Amino acid sequence: MNRVRASAFAAAFLIALAVPVATTAPADPPGILISRQLAEREHLHAGDLVSLALDATGSGARHFRIDGTYEPTPDPLRFTARRLEARMHLPDLIAMTADPADPAAAESLTAINVRLKDPQNAVRFSDAVTARVPGIVVRLTSRARDGSDPFVVLERFHVAVAVVTVLGSTAFLLALMVMRAEERRETIGIIRLIGISQRSILIEVLVEGLLIATAGAVFGILLAIATQGAVNQFFQWRYDTALVFVRVTRSIALQSIAVSVPLGILAGLVGSWTLLRRDVLALVGR
Amino acid sequence: MTAWGLAWRTIARSPARSVLAVVGVTVIGALLFDMLLLSRGLLVSFRDLLEAQDFDIRVVAAEGSMVHRPPIANATSLAEAIARLPQVRRVTLLRTESAQAIVPGGDHLRIALVGTTSAAAGSVWTMTSGASLPTVTAAGAPPPLVISTRLASELQLEPGSELQLRLFRPGTASALPLVAARVIGVAQFTFEAADEYTVATTMEGFAAAAGTRDSTVAEMVLVSSQKGAGAAAAAAIARLRPDVRALSNEQVMEQFNENAFSYFRQISTVLSSMTLAFAFLLIATLLTMSVNQRLGEVAALRALGFPRRRIAANLLWESVLLVGVGGVAALPVGGLLALALDRILRQMPGVPERLHFFVFEPRTVVLHAVLLSVTGALAAVYPIWLATSLPIAATLRREILS
Repeated sequence: MNRVRASAFAAAFLIALAVPVATTAPADPPGILISRQLAEREHLHAGDLVSLALDATGSGARHFRIDGTYEPTPDPLRFTARRLEARMHLPDLIAMTADPADPAAAESLTAINVRLKDPQNAVRFSDAVTARVPGIVVRLTSRARDGSDPFVVLERFHVAVAVVTVLGSTAFLLALMVMRAEERRETIGIIRLIGISQRSILIEVLVEGLLIATAGAVFGILLAIATQGAVNQFFQWRYDTALVFVRVTRSIALQSIAVSVPLGILAGLVGSWTLLRRDVLALVGR
Repeated sequence: MTAWGLAWRTIARSPARSVLAVVGVTVIGALLFDMLLLSRGLLVSFRDLLEAQDFDIRVVAAEGSMVHRPPIANATSLAEAIARLPQVRRVTLLRTESAQAIVPGGDHLRIALVGTTSAAAGSVWTMTSGASLPTVTAAGAPPPLVISTRLASELQLEPGSELQLRLFRPGTASALPLVAARVIGVAQFTFEAADEYTVATTMEGFAAAAGTRDSTVAEMVLVSSQKGAGAAAAAAIARLRPDVRALSNEQVMEQFNENAFSYFRQISTVLSSMTLAFAFLLIATLLTMSVNQRLGEVAALRALGFPRRRIAANLLWESVLLVGVGGVAALPVGGLLALALDRILRQMPGVPERLHFFVFEPRTVVLHAVLLSVTGALAAVYPIWLATSLPIAATLRREILS
């Protein structure tokens, strides 16, 4: 515990009052870091002296010097929260918050972050600590697989919305392909009259569909890459966070191609099949 | 023949194409409808839950919020002072903590233990069997428990069953001893999450489980004011103690709307906009291709004396038919889709089982109709311009030559 106290830099999410100090500050107050959001809101800068207290009345306020500002680590579970935070050395935090009547208060911590030499041992380490120290909860930083991860649910929701969008666009694509095939009715009739087989026409349609679908998928991915910055900027501005909301990864790009290319080819084939099964004379209007 | 009749014949001439276009509009319209439901669903559902509770004011510590609720010292005396206010009808205390519920010699589960008073019955929970919490507990008697129906079913408990509780004390490195309690009733809890088991006991029972005799600490005071006296009651409560904050249902909803619900509002706005843009592009493309295929026909009609206005009306009616039929069909399809999406989102941990993300409101149907109509009308602008501005003689000549 002492090692932690000596080395750790406390993350102090204080319900605190940050007030610039005009007078009666000690000669060399301890340094703190404040979040960018707090600095902007209270117009604070490095070198300013502030007093922090645990309640709005300011009782028991202590003086600190701002050594710098920091961008809070983006937290998807708290991205709607206003990150008005300060970080101070752990002894300073304990001096502010510990109850003098409680001898154990100075030895109490909210959390200890541990980095293992071998991350593969995380589960074993977690089990060992839980068994040895009653009354504490050990959580792995990897994503939970017990249904307690809200992002798994959000992912399912987004996949469901994507599936519905694909269904809608498939219907539209089929309608467009049917219209396109109808436009080429006479051309296909003439091609068949001069002896080109249905199989050759079908292969031509297949290759054409493949090219168009691939071009469409690549264009869609390029559009997504081009617009992801705008989406991120909007949400980052809206929630004042550095969190990245949209990222077009290679896996997502490949998934998009894997869905859209076969669908495009299929739509082209279905559209053309309506013409190929017709009598050749009917196609040329005889 | 009217423009509407001509539009109908044009659509009926290519049934496959028209059916596919309507199916496309239906699916996209259903998605739009769902995003509109999502934009206000949580708010409407949460308001329903709050109003069903019959408490219109919530008192929390001044430094806290509805999510982070530090304990209020001397909450019992505060509740008594609030109850004496003429604007107040009913008051109850609330305190929550995680605990382990153990069936003697059997299973155990992590639960949410709620300490409260008898006044909470009928609002915070609805009894399904047994009795509610007593006003007074006999000295030395085991803490009485009202457990949720899900917990009763999971651990096969009923009124009269014994249950042992071990409260988890955050921030302490020691485990509290087991406390023997007795189930006296089974109830449905308004705010119980799908992944949670709730157990309610008296404030004394909660203090016993916490290993203390101090039952005067609470984290929230629920207040039911006299009819029409909500604002006056909240102001009077705020005057009682400076270290507490009285929040009306509207203020509670505002807090949640600003923070917890805002992501879904934003995502629904983004997806609604994208859906509308998508629908616009696709309808415009379909109509444009349709006009391009019928340039000769349009030129012939114009040559016969059809005015531009009728040609434009014909195309507008085509758009109205596609979007109208698809838009109407989108409502039931969207309703079914909303049920499926709601089921997915309600799997999110900590979400009350009775809270819904998609809630039907008549205004959503109106908004859906307006948005689709505007999109359909805008999508018809370019094809209309194409059809009404084509040179008649040149088009006819080109058609005859081809």
